[in-house]
Amino acid sequence: MTERPDHLPEYLARLADENAARFIGDGLLSGKDSVPAIALNQAAEPLPESPRWRLRALRDLIDDAMYIYRDDRPTQADAWLAPRLHAILRLTRAEAADSALWNYLALGVAPDFVVWRHRSESKKTVNARYFKGPYHKQAFARLWWSAELFRNGSDYEPVVVACGNQDMLNTVLRLDVIDHRPIAQALVGLLRREVVRTGREANALGKAVNTAAATLMYDAIAADVERDAGALRRWIDEAEAGISVQHRPLPAGPAEEGAPQDSVERLTDHFAELFAEAPVRGKEEGQAEAEED
Amino acid sequence: MKVFPYSRLRGTVSLRVDAVSVKAPEQPREQLDSRARSVTERVVALGLAETEDWETAALTVSATIPSKATEPGGPWSDVVVVAVLTDRTTNTRVTTRLVPESEGGREWRGELQVLRADLFERGVLTVQVVATVDGVPGRIIAEATDDWVVDARSDAPVREQTFDIKEVGFAKGPRWLQNFVDIPWIVNAAGRLPTVHINTDFEGMTDVLNAEGRGPEGLVNELMVSQMAADVWIAVFHSAIGELEIEDDGTPLFPYGWQGEVLREMLPDVVPDRTLEDALREVHRRRVGATGWTELQPRIQYAAMRRAGVPAALTETVRGLDKLKREDEA
Amino acid sequence: MEAGEDFGPWLARQLKLADMTQTELAQAVEVTRAAVSAWITGRATPRTETIERIARALNTDLATVHTRTTDTQAGLPVSWYHRPGHADGGRELGNAAAFAFDADVSVLARETCQNSLDERLTANGQPVRVRYTLHELTGETLARFREAIQWDELYPHYEAARAQDQKVGRVIDAGLRDMYEHDRLVLLRVDDYNAAGLTGDDYSDGRFAAVVRRQLDSHKSGTSAGGSYGLGKATLWATSRLGLVLMNSTLSEPHEGRTERRLIGRLDLPWRLVDGEPWAGPAWLGRPDPESPGARVARSWWADEETVASLHLTRESGEPGTSFLIVGAHDVASLVDDNAAFEGDEGEDNDSIQRMHRRLVRALGKNFWAAMTGGGDQLPLLEASVRTLRNGDVAIAEQRVDPAVAQPSRTRALKAFLDGTTVERLTESGQVAQTTVPLNLPARGGGRASQGGEHRAVLLVTDAEDADGKPNRVTAMRGNRMTVRDAAVPGLSLSTNPFQAVLLTGAAAGRQAPFAAEAEEFLRAAEPPEHNKWGQTEELTLTYSPSAYRRITSLTRETNAAIKELVARPKKRAKAGGGRLAEKVTVGTGKTRKPRLSAATLPVLEELDAQVLDSGAWQVIGEIRIPAGGHTWRLAPVAKFDVRSGPRPTIAWAELAGVDNCEVVDGTLRFADKARSATFRGITDPATHAVRSSLSGLVVELRAGEGESL
Repeated sequence: MTERPDHLPEYLARLADENAARFIGDGLLSGKDSVPAIALNQAAEPLPESPRWRLRALRDLIDDAMYIYRDDRPTQADAWLAPRLHAILRLTRAEAADSALWNYLALGVAPDFVVWRHRSESKKTVNARYFKGPYHKQAFARLWWSAELFRNGSDYEPVVVACGNQDMLNTVLRLDVIDHRPIAQALVGLLRREVVRTGREANALGKAVNTAAATLMYDAIAADVERDAGALRRWIDEAEAGISVQHRPLPAGPAEEGAPQDSVERLTDHFAELFAEAPVRGKEEGQAEAEED
Repeated sequence: MKVFPYSRLRGTVSLRVDAVSVKAPEQPREQLDSRARSVTERVVALGLAETEDWETAALTVSATIPSKATEPGGPWSDVVVVAVLTDRTTNTRVTTRLVPESEGGREWRGELQVLRADLFERGVLTVQVVATVDGVPGRIIAEATDDWVVDARSDAPVREQTFDIKEVGFAKGPRWLQNFVDIPWIVNAAGRLPTVHINTDFEGMTDVLNAEGRGPEGLVNELMVSQMAADVWIAVFHSAIGELEIEDDGTPLFPYGWQGEVLREMLPDVVPDRTLEDALREVHRRRVGATGWTELQPRIQYAAMRRAGVPAALTETVRGLDKLKREDEA
Repeated sequence: MEAGEDFGPWLARQLKLADMTQTELAQAVEVTRAAVSAWITGRATPRTETIERIARALNTDLATVHTRTTDTQAGLPVSWYHRPGHADGGRELGNAAAFAFDADVSVLARETCQNSLDERLTANGQPVRVRYTLHELTGETLARFREAIQWDELYPHYEAARAQDQKVGRVIDAGLRDMYEHDRLVLLRVDDYNAAGLTGDDYSDGRFAAVVRRQLDSHKSGTSAGGSYGLGKATLWATSRLGLVLMNSTLSEPHEGRTERRLIGRLDLPWRLVDGEPWAGPAWLGRPDPESPGARVARSWWADEETVASLHLTRESGEPGTSFLIVGAHDVASLVDDNAAFEGDEGEDNDSIQRMHRRLVRALGKNFWAAMTGGGDQLPLLEASVRTLRNGDVAIAEQRVDPAVAQPSRTRALKAFLDGTTVERLTESGQVAQTTVPLNLPARGGGRASQGGEHRAVLLVTDAEDADGKPNRVTAMRGNRMTVRDAAVPGLSLSTNPFQAVLLTGAAAGRQAPFAAEAEEFLRAAEPPEHNKWGQTEELTLTYSPSAYRRITSLTRETNAAIKELVARPKKRAKAGGGRLAEKVTVGTGKTRKPRLSAATLPVLEELDAQVLDSGAWQVIGEIRIPAGGHTWRLAPVAKFDVRSGPRPTIAWAELAGVDNCEVVDGTLRFADKARSATFRGITDPATHAVRSSLSGLVVELRAGEGESL
């Protein structure tokens, strides 16, 4: 069994892609082997010894998630974990773009979680891209980025809604359109209104919006407010000062202004129309159940 | 070929960055020297800022659009010009509306703010012309012909990117390199930028690497450098082709970043006589399909050797050796 | 009573013109010779009734004698004087100076404007104003003008000259044919105001003689003069197909007590035989000078307003300056230059004056942008305009030459300097950076005792604009603001932001610049007659030392270094190690992209006609171009929706059919044997659309089937 590493340093580290690849073997992917923790930490590059990079807080959160959802389908942990991971691991987007950090989390901090969450029941293995992969695939990056892109300012509630639908994470997360906040919020709005319920429907909606966005500039139709450098800086500074985040209540994100309500509503209505016309892929086309490998 | 179900604007939309400044909290704004932007390369290098802890950058963007866009009687109304900065690695998209310099004019100008925390390395800046067409608001009717690159780290505004070259003793270097102590170099094409690790523990390696001129060492250097480069190009090609995103119907998407550049430069030699997209599809099909991948290897080697200039280097070396031999005999 | 000249000198000249002695006049007006002498020397003035008698004696009216603003018509009338053939039988087949030039209004503009700048009256601080008027005469207007220039008298000379099989002969022949066959004549008038005018005696040293009498004479005015009435004046005659130029000058210093309407004409023809008599070449239109041998040589005369008007030489004000009227102006260079606009003879005739107009404007802007630029408390040195008339009516309205149009960035640089709005360092486009460059002046005479000094030339750098021409150049000038040196800045990387630099030296560097006068003098000595560079000259060697030119080399070096300091980026830091490997493992240089192989046989989608049907389906008709040998390809048309990012949703075809030269088998096109083009038609299945057709773009591609060989 892949177990939690028996050596956990005090602070997080970076594990470059070329180093990470060496630790991803068939034994790990099939959930049989553990990661050699000492070798891995030797290959890793330590991050500054500041409270923001404390490893323990993260590991505790992951343990909590696995405990809470021990009797459920592991996919259900996503909606709980995403906002809390984001609130504990306070990063700038530039920092979050560094794959080495995510490699370390998956291999050095919680390989057991990756196996628990992503082992395919049918294939009995984990896709290697959950350990080391693009932001919309990698086990921790996908959670952090969905929290970052679906939160509405300090409000994580939309993240919980979005992560409740696996296709929002699997397909919609990787679409560039959601980089415009009112679009992300409008998509969540349709989930909340239960206009869109299933993974296939979310998929069809995302595809329709992405296609329409080739000719429509939603930024011009439904404007957002400017990014707030100060709010983010203060939020990260709190982590540097060693703030601790509670696990049970939904935490609060950076004190940024939310997306303008009228923009979100305009797009929600517009997307509802798009969705009404969009074909939703049916079972007869032989599409396998939403990715679970 | 692309068609749109509404009138698009023909002609050139051009884009320039006229000024760049950065700002740190509680510090005066720093106007960057014009050398931080290259009009010919269309690159802004924010790494030239002297304010070390700058937090936001402001770009003065101006665009020239065809006058037809705002001529009365045209199919477009409510024309706006929007500057768009995107960074795919940070999922960031920032837009700003430009303002016409004169009523109905062709010149539009505005300021775009971007957070340093939102740029990983290179953002792409473009402008789009948006209008109401046939009653549909927000239609993109034109886009800048050439985009700009906003580089958050580089101190030189150039588009080209050189792969990383690290001279390191393998014996005492990073653990994974220790497995390769007995070879002179190794190429690693995973990660942000491919890296060539040169083993300084390999006897004579440093001397050959730094040798110049027409003497024996210089000739060996020429040959070796081109051989190393060929290794690099073979490695990066495989790396780029191995991490493609695939469309629903199995068509691979052209990647961004250095992977895209590598494919653009090598595919015409790997699969000649096809469009880039077609060539990519063919290579991908052979890689994942049942047959053809092995047969493709010679073509990849061909492309890599050409790109690395191996034939020219070898010709030079042979000529140089002949000359040395004649000098010896004389 | 308005009185022109003093009575004495006026009377003396009238007697001379009428070839009348003081005694003869005394007899005619019945006074003593002594009385006449007293009038002439100004010791006495005649009584009113005597003046009447004088008028009669001089065969003129009373008013002329009273006002004395013009000469009487007494004596020999204004006429053409042709220089007789040389006694030694020598023949000159054309004015060497004039025919050294091809007719080119750009050159004319440069040379004449330069002369006007040199002759600018500087005391009042005002610019010299130069106006170019193109005037096309036809019909009656042309006939009257010919009468005014006594054409009938000239014609035999032209007949003789055109017959000669020389370049001059052919030019004249073309000019005459143009006039007679098309009944048209183009006059090009060059006026300057607030300039010195043609001062001085008719024959001895002075501006008048320099222009009218001599060839290759350089009469320099100020110390900063760039051109001169030297070679440059020959362009006036070179521009005339008839070798004919008339002049009207208002003088800044009186001559013979007068300033206004000093007229003279000069004709340059080759040696010729007319009515059996040999003529040397030049001819002058003027008053026969009684003091000349046989009273035949023509000299300038003070004309009345009527005469001036008939010669199209009326000046707009009494401000000093000169008007040159080029009769039969043409512009050979424009035919080469404006090839695109040239469409046969017809086009040439119709366009020629417009084209000359355009070329004048352009040439003035290009050469004099600096002189036309003012700023701060300094007015420009020069204002220039161009207008075009047809028989006195405006054809192209007067157009003031705007330096900012011709040379936007250089003008911006100079203006910012004069306005004091330059910056130390460029941050924003449109700014002008200013710095100084040292010029170490050598001591004069090579003497060790006298020390030179360090002049600081002003260097201006700003972003280039397309209209300026080639970027990354530095133009250098002295106090007269003429570009002396225009050179590329070497050793710049291709990625340098395009710029223009201006180097202001000597008096141009401003009042505060140290050793400005000395620098001005030094650089003038280093300037060859062509005014196109600074370097080793005889004058420099003699006045300074044989090695003095090295100071200029060093100025150039310092200038280039200072420019680089402002615009060039420091070399990209070489990444650690790797020797020459780095250059071979660089992507995105754009240099390595090879053109597509020419042997391509892959058919390409050439045109796509698409429309949305009522059913919501897209209907497309695609035209395919098939290179030779390409018909064997099996290609499938594929339709997709365009997207913002990621995969494009595929659209299924409801219908797909060959229209021309192809048929559809299993979704792929089979082209007809040896077909070079084919057309297919497709209709999409709306049930497979991810969004309504009207909401997105449609992408259609031809996809090669699997297993196509490489």
